[in-house]
Amino acid sequence: MVGAPAMIEPLLAAAAVALVITGATAALLLTNAVKRVAGIIVAGFGATLALAALGAPDGALVASVAIVFTQAVIGVVVIVRLQESYGAVEAPEIDSSDRNDEAREDEP
Amino acid sequence: MSGALLDLVRMNAPLLMMVIPFGGAALMLLNGSARLAWFIACGAAVAASVVGIDFAARLLSGATPALAIVAPQIHVDGVGAFAGALIGLALVLAVAAIGASLKDAGVREAPVALALVLCGAGSWIGALMAGDLIALIVAVETGWLAAVGLVAVNAVRERAPLNGALRMLSIGSIGTALMLLGAAMIGRASGGLSLEALPLAHISMINLAGAGAALVVLGLAVKIGVAPLHAWAAATLGRGNAMVTFGVGVLGVLGAASVLCRFASYAITAPEIGAAISAALAGLGAVSVVVGSVQAVGARNLQRLAAYAGVSQVGCVLLSVALGSPAGFAAALIQLVGFAAAATAFYGGAAAGRVKSLAMLDGYGQRAPLASAAIATGALSLMGAPLTIGFLGRWRLVEAGVGAGWWWASVLVIVASLAGVFYGGRLIERMYFRRANAAYAGDGGVWRVALGPALIAAIVAIGIGFAPLVLLRAADVASGMLTGVAT
Repeated sequence: MVGAPAMIEPLLAAAAVALVITGATAALLLTNAVKRVAGIIVAGFGATLALAALGAPDGALVASVAIVFTQAVIGVVVIVRLQESYGAVEAPEIDSSDRNDEAREDEP
Repeated sequence: MSGALLDLVRMNAPLLMMVIPFGGAALMLLNGSARLAWFIACGAAVAASVVGIDFAARLLSGATPALAIVAPQIHVDGVGAFAGALIGLALVLAVAAIGASLKDAGVREAPVALALVLCGAGSWIGALMAGDLIALIVAVETGWLAAVGLVAVNAVRERAPLNGALRMLSIGSIGTALMLLGAAMIGRASGGLSLEALPLAHISMINLAGAGAALVVLGLAVKIGVAPLHAWAAATLGRGNAMVTFGVGVLGVLGAASVLCRFASYAITAPEIGAAISAALAGLGAVSVVVGSVQAVGARNLQRLAAYAGVSQVGCVLLSVALGSPAGFAAALIQLVGFAAAATAFYGGAAAGRVKSLAMLDGYGQRAPLASAAIATGALSLMGAPLTIGFLGRWRLVEAGVGAGWWWASVLVIVASLAGVFYGGRLIERMYFRRANAAYAGDGGVWRVALGPALIAAIVAIGIGFAPLVLLRAADVASGMLTGVAT
């Protein structure tokens, strides 16, 4: 039993790193804005788990959860505004609309 | 009575530098008038700036200021005091310049946008005074999310900034997750999260601590927009209005770069992990100088060009910090001042005439001579032309690099300057040696409110190039207090 926490710590830390990598991949590579925000939340909770697994103080965990929550809220707001302005939440459609807007502006 | 009040203010200067912008932001949100909000923002910015400059001047003149211990999370050092005062000064110029573009943000949104600019600046100053890693990360994230909010709020007349906001949120949040992961690793390896204790800590797991510090550096590099992590910069700054360019392109980049310098000053002086951090910073800096310069040469949009030139300039800052010596940190601080002056002059000159594409610059020297002078000065400083502050910073980097045997860093600085001659020269040629494009000939309405700060920044960029002694001395003293000051 004494060795159990010592075994759990590296397992939790590995799981935390895996969550951060998964979330980061989703947030950076997926084209759908909703899935990107979901990736941000996964990565954030991975980081929080890492803090917990590696023995960070309670205040650090609270701060981390607060950060993830705020990111999620702002992410939802940006998604709603994107849907209102572009009528889409897919990155290729949004980029295409921006390119068209820019070409129109650059015309003399 | 007033003497006692002054002493009280001075004793709490580090805290007030953070609190005043937040107080101003709260006041702005209570009223719906854009103009009144702007006056409040100006007042808060000037107050924070005066407190910060007075504090830095006392500290860097060799005095040992008495400080009230109000919170253990506050820790003062040379880099923090120097950069905090610099951000305060940049905030004053930014808020003053923004006054001309309140309508661009929308009448209802302007107070919120101004409040976010102040919150961002207060947060970056907070990160420069943070005593432990978690406080630093929370402050950095507050500043970053304020910047994301600022970009999103300014998407009323132009929807493109929303795309930039999404990219900032995606990339920046991953940067934050990496910083938290890095902090957890450092805490586990060194037994604590205090910045002050890091250089002297007995690090039991060197690889874990080194990886953690590298992750924190990477997370901060994302917020600065260091290449190749700058995918958000072009989308955000390319078509943003003056609030976005000043709030994110000047204050955000300056704040994040200052915080990275400060964190590096603690991590790089820890003997077990210093070499790894130095290598990581040097790699990022070198890539940033090359990629930023190449992209700036190829840019067709003025604001994107300025953003890429800033990426190259920040690369030089990272190279200076990577040296790890007091001379390197002094060079980094001078380059931060140079970046703030050049970017303010550049963006201010562009905002004054609402110039976005390079084609709109044709004949700008005749239509708007003062705004053109500001842009030209910013470009000359960014390219490191002699008798500008840009030259001074790069010269100090070359000196420090050669002293440390880093000849390749000197070569990179020369490459950055040569690229600057291309893109800066192209701007100057368009402004002064071409006729105005017929389509834009009548579009030369220069807002004096926007132009004043740009001209002040341009004068500073040239003036310090002629009389650099005060800045050189301040940077040298600040870099001698890398890991804190006795109070």
